[in-house]
Amino acid sequence: MDLGAQRQRMIMQAPWGVLLASLAVSGIGIYNLMSAARSMWTAQAAYIGVGLAVLIAVTLVDIRFIQSAAVPVYLLNIGLLVLLKFIGTKAKGAESWLVLGPLRVQPAEFMKIGMVLMMAKYFHDDYRPASPSYGFLRLIPPLTLAVVPTLLVLVQPDLGTALMMTFTAVTLIAFARVKWTVVVAAGVIGLLSAAVIWNDFARPVPEGETRTTLVRHHLKKHQEGRISGWLDPQSDLKGTNYHSMQSKIAVGSGGFSGKGWKEGTQTALRYLPEQHTDFIFSVWAEEHGFLSCLLLLVLYGVILVGSLGVAHNSRDRFGAFVAVGIAAMLFWQVFENIGMVTGLLPVTGITLPLMSYGGSSMVSVMLGIGLLANISMRRHLF
Amino acid sequence: MKLGRASAGKDLRVRYFWVGGFFVFGMFVLAVNLYRLMVIRHDEFLALSIDNQFKDVRVRAPRGQIRDRRGEVLVDIRPSFDVFITPAFCQKCAAEVIPQLADLVGWDEAQTQAVTARIKAAHGPQRYQPMQVETDLGRDALDRVNAVVHRLPGVDVEKVPHRNYPAGPALAHVLGYMNEVTQDELVRLNGASEMERAPYALGDYIGRRGVERGFEAMLRGKDGWRKEVVNARGEVMRDPNGEVLQHEDFAPRSGNNVVLSIDARLQAEAEKAFPGAAGAIIALDPRTGFVLAAVSRPSFDPNVLTGRVSPKKLQEMAKDPLQPMVNRVAAEHYHPGSTFKPITLIAGLRSGAFTEHTTATCGGGFRLGARVWRCHGVHGTVAAVRGLQYSCDTYFYTIANAIGIDPIATIGREFGLGQATNFSVAAEVPGVMPDTAYHDKVTPGGYQKGMALNTAIGQGDVNVTPLQLAGMYAALGTGSLYQPQVVDHVEDPQGDVIQKFEPKLVRKIDLTEDQHRIVVDALAAVVNEAGGTGGRARLKGAMSGITIAGKTGTAQVVRIGDVRLKKEQMGYFERDHAWFAAFAPAEAPEIAIVVLNEHSGHGGSESAPAASAVMQKFFELKASDSVAFGPAWQPPPPIKIAAPAPKPADGGTAALAAQPAVPDAGAPSIASGGTSPAAVKEPSRWI
Repeated sequence: MDLGAQRQRMIMQAPWGVLLASLAVSGIGIYNLMSAARSMWTAQAAYIGVGLAVLIAVTLVDIRFIQSAAVPVYLLNIGLLVLLKFIGTKAKGAESWLVLGPLRVQPAEFMKIGMVLMMAKYFHDDYRPASPSYGFLRLIPPLTLAVVPTLLVLVQPDLGTALMMTFTAVTLIAFARVKWTVVVAAGVIGLLSAAVIWNDFARPVPEGETRTTLVRHHLKKHQEGRISGWLDPQSDLKGTNYHSMQSKIAVGSGGFSGKGWKEGTQTALRYLPEQHTDFIFSVWAEEHGFLSCLLLLVLYGVILVGSLGVAHNSRDRFGAFVAVGIAAMLFWQVFENIGMVTGLLPVTGITLPLMSYGGSSMVSVMLGIGLLANISMRRHLF
Repeated sequence: MKLGRASAGKDLRVRYFWVGGFFVFGMFVLAVNLYRLMVIRHDEFLALSIDNQFKDVRVRAPRGQIRDRRGEVLVDIRPSFDVFITPAFCQKCAAEVIPQLADLVGWDEAQTQAVTARIKAAHGPQRYQPMQVETDLGRDALDRVNAVVHRLPGVDVEKVPHRNYPAGPALAHVLGYMNEVTQDELVRLNGASEMERAPYALGDYIGRRGVERGFEAMLRGKDGWRKEVVNARGEVMRDPNGEVLQHEDFAPRSGNNVVLSIDARLQAEAEKAFPGAAGAIIALDPRTGFVLAAVSRPSFDPNVLTGRVSPKKLQEMAKDPLQPMVNRVAAEHYHPGSTFKPITLIAGLRSGAFTEHTTATCGGGFRLGARVWRCHGVHGTVAAVRGLQYSCDTYFYTIANAIGIDPIATIGREFGLGQATNFSVAAEVPGVMPDTAYHDKVTPGGYQKGMALNTAIGQGDVNVTPLQLAGMYAALGTGSLYQPQVVDHVEDPQGDVIQKFEPKLVRKIDLTEDQHRIVVDALAAVVNEAGGTGGRARLKGAMSGITIAGKTGTAQVVRIGDVRLKKEQMGYFERDHAWFAAFAPAEAPEIAIVVLNEHSGHGGSESAPAASAVMQKFFELKASDSVAFGPAWQPPPPIKIAAPAPKPADGGTAALAAQPAVPDAGAPSIASGGTSPAAVKEPSRWI
């Protein structure tokens, strides 16, 4: 097989659906930012350029090299997160930024990928065809691999990313197949959490008595407020629920066909302080309406299903787990973000992949898609 | 490398569909939620988003004017140049801007610090609200500030409409003043209306006292609203030309003008003529009850009280022993003294026991039981006209002794004493018209005859307001008692009358023509005949032909000791009140007037001249005005009075006739006995 034919075949095998849908969402993102943040779209275009360069660069690296680099990458990211605790720059109440000269990097964005790679490598190495399901004891190593970075992100504090990492890890573990006892235990834990939330936030407390809380007093004030606000969306519309309400107003007022590009009043009058980053979807919804939102969901759906397709066609377990992990990461990020913007979930800081303004977010998503492409392109190489 | 060993394997195949299904389900949940928000609840959120982008800005309606009967402006609006700071736009506010501003407007250290503290205390959206830091810049300060205001970020000078009382303290008690509406009032006045568009907002001024208060609803107008496009921080959005983006929603409606029955020229004359430190002048049209002039001294300056008063000044006013905030026309009552005597006279006449010619003999006092009620002179034998003319106490003691207190109280009440007049624009006290029941209730030991004697000369427990007394004298002149009013009509900003106040007849007084004639003759004699106490009320020059009918009064405020002291020997608050009450012309009254000069001594000398000056002015104005002075409304024809009043013989042909009518121990004959002044008790023990 000559090299030219091999390259041609590799390009043929690239996940074109995923790539095109990603480009489409990025384009929509720029168009949307032109309305939401006036001058920021040029910077966002540059970020997309950098992201695409990273994507292509990732496709050029042999997947076997990536697999062997999973441990150092994972440890490097953990190290950066720890470093962040000491030299991090604060923004919006969280120490999430590492400033390297002119670059401001959010290590958490890359930690997600590092975690996915690490867990994929673990599940690949740990494959036992004789006993494919994971029991409690066998879950301890992969759980540790997930919990350590998640906790480091949580204490920044970046609740949104930490939640997304948790859900991603849970998805990966479930994909690796767990025993029924684990499922039952997880169900019980879920019910207990619900009970704790009910006790701490929703349980009717008789007049004069103070609520006996289990977890609530450990939360930051704004986190606590977001959960109570989520449970009672009509309360404190000027304070805790301001974002949620204004966001719902923006989305709801968009209607079936939207108010038109640059015609969104919620957007133009800046009712949402984070409308160019975490609340970018509200701008799209307000100005372009329900059908355009459906289009966006379909594009994300194409990316997700395409990612699973890459996993499905992958020749080895590492590639399959990486693809599923990246798909899960994207899914949870989209679900959390749009759920938050539409009032379905509490407000947590999390970006919408490829739509939100920001370099770290863009590059990390592109990096993930680059990994997908890499896996897809090399599926027949071995 | 272990790649070969770990094939993707068939075991994973089915799991992709599980995961894929889960992802698709998640997207579906998001889509359903979007449908719920964007399609089902679209209208609700669209309305909220429209609400969001506008800020309602209140456009204050200009408050109506208060004018006198001829249209002269008594109260209007003037621009006040106020300084505002918007904290959000004020950079280096405490370090540079405020100290600079302090120099320009002349704040001292404490004021500067207070302003700095207020600016620093502003948080959140408050920071975008302009805060008033100085009111009423003087012309020089305004020039200084205007010259540099463009270099002071966040500082604005705004022209704010402010209530203006050109005549200052004159008529202040009738006009009233304004200050900020209280929280309680906001709740009460705004009631159920939407708070967003409530008629009153915090910081609004509301009328206090007088016409400002009584006609608040008429004067206020209706504030307008403008919608300004704002962003989430409350910042006003501007179009590319820098104009504020807005649309007029509801234009303000100016307040109505209230036109008083006061004549500003007569008011000025009354203000000028009032001779004392404290007291009142009230002049009204006896044919209608409409007030022509009203003075209450000391007064206050409504310009100061309307949002420009310092707590120190308020304290000073509260501590002032002369109590400038008390409206002496209606809100304070006094012993009427001798001005009350016509009531006693009418009571005597109506009782039948006394006629025009029934006499009493005054030897300087009247003995009732063991006590002697002193008269201020020795008047010999007097009947009705001379009794009133000389203000002979003995004559009125005689009547009271004969008929008791109740018939006197009945007449007093008929003339409006002892009850509120329902004067719409001022707080008032009802006064006291004592009778048997009253004394049985409030006096230890109950009613005794001596109380009737004290009441007969306007002492004892009789208390009247100057307004009541003016109404009484108007009724003495016309035979009809009218409710006093000061607002003639209300007109809208275009000048169309929207509410006209008609004279309100309280009652026609049950007087025979004879009784009426006797009283008017006697009151005319007080002023016009030798020996009358009111000679100084006569008019001068061209007006000297107009007959004044009036009565002096010198009301004691403390018991007189064994020796009657001269005015100069007494402390201010022990001195007598000087009254003069009158109407003119006697035969067809057009003006009734009461002058009360507190603690000044004799009514004849201390109050009558002021009444004379006001009446002189009234008739001069009437003569000079092309339009008739009085309102278009025609009064019922006045009771005719026989021109030359019959002169009763002083010799007392009817003296005997009086005797059988005096059944009590204290007969006039005893009273006429020469009693030494030292043995005479003072007449009033209940003051």
